[in-house]
Amino acid sequence: MTIKRSDIKALIITGDGINCEVETAAAFREQGINAEIIHISDLISHPHRLNAAHILALPGGFSFGDEIGSGQILALKIKYSFEAELKKFINDKKLVIGICNGFQALVRLGLLPKPFEAREMTLTHNDQGHFINQWVDLNVTPSLCAWTTDLEGMVISLPIRHGEGKIVFKGDELTQEKTYQNLYENGQIALSYTENVNGSYQNIAGVCDPTGRIFGLMPHPEAAISQWLYPSGKDKKDQKGFGEKIFSSAIKYCESNF
Amino acid sequence: MGHVYRFEIYPNQHSLKNVTANENALKKWFKDFTQTEFERIFEVRYFLVETDEKIEGIHAYASEVFTDSVTETLFSSESTNSEEYHGWIKEKGFTRPFMIDIGFRPGVTDNSAHAAKEALKLLPALKKRNLNVSSGAMYFVEGIDLNPEKLQKLTYEKMANFLLHKVTVTSFDELVHNTRLKNITFPNVDITAQQMALINLDINDSELSELNSKNCWALSKEELAHIKNHYKKLERNPTDVEMEIIAQSWSEHCKHKIFSSEITYSESNLPMGVKALGEMKIPGIFKTFIRGSTLKIKEDRKLPWLISIFHDNAGIVRFDDNVDVCIKVETHNSPSALDPYGGALTGILGVNRDILGVGLGAKPIANTNVFCLAENNYFKDNDISMPLLLKNPDRIKAGVHQGVQDGGNKSGIPTVNGAFVFDRDFVGKPLVFCGTVGVMPQIENNHNTFEKGQRPGDLIVMAGGRIGKDGIHGATFSSMELVDGVPSSVVQIGDPITQKRLSDFLIEARSHGLFNSVTDNGAGGLSSSVGEMAQLTNGADIDLELALVKYPGLSPYELMVSESQERMTFSVASETIAEFLELAEQRNVEASVIGKFTDSGLLNIRYNGEKVAELSLHFLHESLLPMKLNAHFDVKTKSAHWIKKKITKKSLPGNYKEILLDLFRSPNIRSHEHLIRRYDHEVKGATLVKPFTGSSEKGFSAPSDAGVIWMKPHGGDADNAIAIACGICPKVSEYDSYLMAEYALDEAVRNAVCVGANPDEMVLVDNFCWPDPIESPRNPDALLKLSHLVRASKALYDLSISYGMPFVSGKDSMKNDFIGVTAENEKVKISVPPTLLVTAMGKVPGLKTITTSEVKSADAYIYLIGEKHLNLKSAFELSELYEDYKIEYPLPYINGKKQLDLYRTFHKSMREGLIASSHDVSDGGVLISLAEKMMGTPYGMQIELSGMKKHELTGFFFNEGAGRFVVTVNPKDAREFEDNLTGHFFTRLGKTTNDEMLAVALDGVSVLAVSGSECMDHYKIQTRELV
Repeated sequence: MTIKRSDIKALIITGDGINCEVETAAAFREQGINAEIIHISDLISHPHRLNAAHILALPGGFSFGDEIGSGQILALKIKYSFEAELKKFINDKKLVIGICNGFQALVRLGLLPKPFEAREMTLTHNDQGHFINQWVDLNVTPSLCAWTTDLEGMVISLPIRHGEGKIVFKGDELTQEKTYQNLYENGQIALSYTENVNGSYQNIAGVCDPTGRIFGLMPHPEAAISQWLYPSGKDKKDQKGFGEKIFSSAIKYCESNF
Repeated sequence: MGHVYRFEIYPNQHSLKNVTANENALKKWFKDFTQTEFERIFEVRYFLVETDEKIEGIHAYASEVFTDSVTETLFSSESTNSEEYHGWIKEKGFTRPFMIDIGFRPGVTDNSAHAAKEALKLLPALKKRNLNVSSGAMYFVEGIDLNPEKLQKLTYEKMANFLLHKVTVTSFDELVHNTRLKNITFPNVDITAQQMALINLDINDSELSELNSKNCWALSKEELAHIKNHYKKLERNPTDVEMEIIAQSWSEHCKHKIFSSEITYSESNLPMGVKALGEMKIPGIFKTFIRGSTLKIKEDRKLPWLISIFHDNAGIVRFDDNVDVCIKVETHNSPSALDPYGGALTGILGVNRDILGVGLGAKPIANTNVFCLAENNYFKDNDISMPLLLKNPDRIKAGVHQGVQDGGNKSGIPTVNGAFVFDRDFVGKPLVFCGTVGVMPQIENNHNTFEKGQRPGDLIVMAGGRIGKDGIHGATFSSMELVDGVPSSVVQIGDPITQKRLSDFLIEARSHGLFNSVTDNGAGGLSSSVGEMAQLTNGADIDLELALVKYPGLSPYELMVSESQERMTFSVASETIAEFLELAEQRNVEASVIGKFTDSGLLNIRYNGEKVAELSLHFLHESLLPMKLNAHFDVKTKSAHWIKKKITKKSLPGNYKEILLDLFRSPNIRSHEHLIRRYDHEVKGATLVKPFTGSSEKGFSAPSDAGVIWMKPHGGDADNAIAIACGICPKVSEYDSYLMAEYALDEAVRNAVCVGANPDEMVLVDNFCWPDPIESPRNPDALLKLSHLVRASKALYDLSISYGMPFVSGKDSMKNDFIGVTAENEKVKISVPPTLLVTAMGKVPGLKTITTSEVKSADAYIYLIGEKHLNLKSAFELSELYEDYKIEYPLPYINGKKQLDLYRTFHKSMREGLIASSHDVSDGGVLISLAEKMMGTPYGMQIELSGMKKHELTGFFFNEGAGRFVVTVNPKDAREFEDNLTGHFFTRLGKTTNDEMLAVALDGVSVLAVSGSECMDHYKIQTRELV
């Protein structure tokens, strides 16, 4: 039996400097699902609330001001407060998305690219050495990712807004190449920039875990759900934008799997 | 505490070879600006952790918190692998490096350390430990001709600020012993509070004046006499706390005495075309010209959407059916001169708090920022030596930019609009304008959100940051008075995360109806915030020892007037206080009840039970009489310029292409994209028109006219938006300050109209930044400066009334001068040009009305709307660049009524979808605007001119003025578009093409051909790096 859209529940974490929770929740709500913004302190005091959700979203922002390393302290906070409940959530085959700072936190938590294994990937300072906000073109490569099924094979445009979006792998060059090949062959590279925008390894912009259910990406789909938000005057119209398809893909996954 | 550990974060063996962008940028900076060659610079961050007892295994805990296991490794005072560490330094290519260590001075806001402490305490093993953390950076350097003294000096020039940081340099011979890891000192604050003291004012005038300057009260002779008289009647002496509160409340910054003064204005020797105002007595600039205009417009137009004006932290308007919108723009000039980063950061966070503190609290949704700066190249190229103690203007630029970047980005507020303005006279005092737009529900919990509702009996709660010595008497202390262990009171660093938490908490608490009123703590600290709020209930009682402090040892007067950041003062009913404090705790916001609002007519302050102040609110806020000042306008009375050297410029080129490209590279026209793209301009997913526009083919690097924000994501109507635009043109002040103000106002309005805002639903914000207009021996042309203020304000009054656009908020900053000495020991005074920023906010009725500046297709008609100005000499940018081009009077003026009619018909065409693209004509004139419209697209323009003579082309191409647009219109819409414009000046200039060339012909003869990409290359002269 298929779950009703209105019964699909997304939890969107906020607090401690996260700042894209409202538009991320709005992007989910446009799909007709139940999206709730929850303060991380409330989730820490009531971690069982994860059980009632199908989707967990870590939105963009500047958690803890990006001090020490972007996403680093948020990852520690999650690890030391509701790691067990989060593991259960993942083992229950539910969906997780981390956008920008949320992606950085998922990586530092060790959930991407391979949950519960030794870390082999990180996100570090852009080659430019500073924050950038610009729209970039992306290839949606064929992958396992449940969050990109509606876009697969397309070239899309989304805004990036980050200072630490360069993907780096652990170890010497050969090890890095192996790690990349492995992810590529697994179908975990879900999104790549069409050109070098920040020095990211092989222009990677987004990766998923081996199940395709946990997805992290640097660009902001929630800021491109409508074509009114496109950067060119000519393209502005009353139609859904590329970003919307990330959310629609996930909801379709929920519909067929829950 | 007992133990101090030091943790240094190094790249691991695989990342060691990477040279960071910052390291390269530092090398280049030192080479360019100090002629110092660094062969290698290696930056390493570190943390000091102080604990009360030794912690087993702390290295492993710190490693988990401080490093990224993929790329980094930790070296610490607990490490046993010092050989390995020496190996890294060698691996980096160093042979005998120096090590520069930059640590914070005690008490300086250290955001990294705050975050690090919170992170360490997440670990179960450290949760209950007492920890103090301090952060720092070290630089290993090697280069030509380096020594410790030189390195220390260079570090203070670039990476450190003497007021905030302590720099130590270690040479290689000492470095090998790693002493920094063995004897670690933690920057602890060590101060003692002073007892409250009585101040005897019954002394002679010269003693009084000495007392005044010793205490940095900055009170005038009349004010001192007024206070003396008041206390004589009370038959007692004032306390130090009372004197400080009075001095803060009566400061120019808080009281705006110049804007409230009675001014007698006269004028003489008016140049041709300069508007005569005649002799005038003005009861007060604010009362007469600013509020006067708004009240008149409100009455004339019966505006139902003007919700709250002038009596709150920001103006509130109803441009949406669901939410109200508010706007405020502030300046933070003096703090930015002292510490560019901290000054700009606290500037942006401060204006955000103004919005948070309007009504019952609004949510900030967009920032604007305008910088007026100088550029080092100007002084370098013209071989002008800078006065001593002035900072390199490029360093100021980098600092203020970083401050606005961090302030906006880390708060999740998009920076949607702004400007960079350059003039050599901003070298003494940079101007930093920060604006914020906010939204609030119209009604929440059955209460109008725009109305504050504190009542006698409500509790006074201070929340957010803690009080420290930072921000006591702002700019009055000199750097020489710094003593180790004593926190600098001069400069402050903002803490965006504390503020973000406070901001999220405030909105949540408001939605639950947990407080009755709120205001921000800005200038003047508690004395201002409580002082202002107490006026509404007519009294307050405070117990100062209840306020949360950063460290012990603060005196009562310091607690009262400290401007420590990120604080708001709430008025909370006793029924909701428990819930309020509980929510604050859950949201990691510190809050403390410090007193109670009363209706006693008094501000009563106690410290540990002892009464330290009892001030009558009437005396404090209403007893001071306005100053009486004189203003005289005569441009010939201007004092000689501080730069005595003759500046040589190139002569006007004979071909227009060269002029056009020269203009595109000039400071006030060229692109600042490399800086602007470092601001997040679309967080919140609501920025419809972004700072840059263009096309998918050519990228997005062409300038937009205004920012447009969608109301839907902010709880407003789905088909509604607001436009935010600015206008500023200080270069016109020296010719005519009346015209300067008209141009600024018109430019802001026109930019907003350009993107689709309705001129009938538009409001304005004024920000004056003036050179000191008070007469003194050091200020010989004060009468002229004050006359500029009168003329500019009168122009705002006249034009805003013609346009029917009310001012809803504004601010003035009146002492923008630098007084110092030259290298030759001569006194020098640098005053900013009279500068007025006007910000316009208008409703864009329907998303289909939004129009961007770039050409959308080939074969569209190109129009100039407005006059051609063939016979004038008003090409201000040409006069900046070329020796033989001089501005001449008369300058183009504005006919307000007619201009409004044009904007209305223009807007009608936009709503009817007749205008494909529109762009304003401003700096550089018509030709620049045309080129800007096409250079971001795959299209070109064929311009066919006739009816003008060849010698008139320079005027046509480059003259500036107000009120003009260049637009493109599809031929099928041309008839209707032209019909709408009946009665107004407009010219069809030609057609858009497919060939990416701007080609201009006069009577069929080609006079100019330039490609869009060539224009773009010159426009982006400073934006070469990978953006």
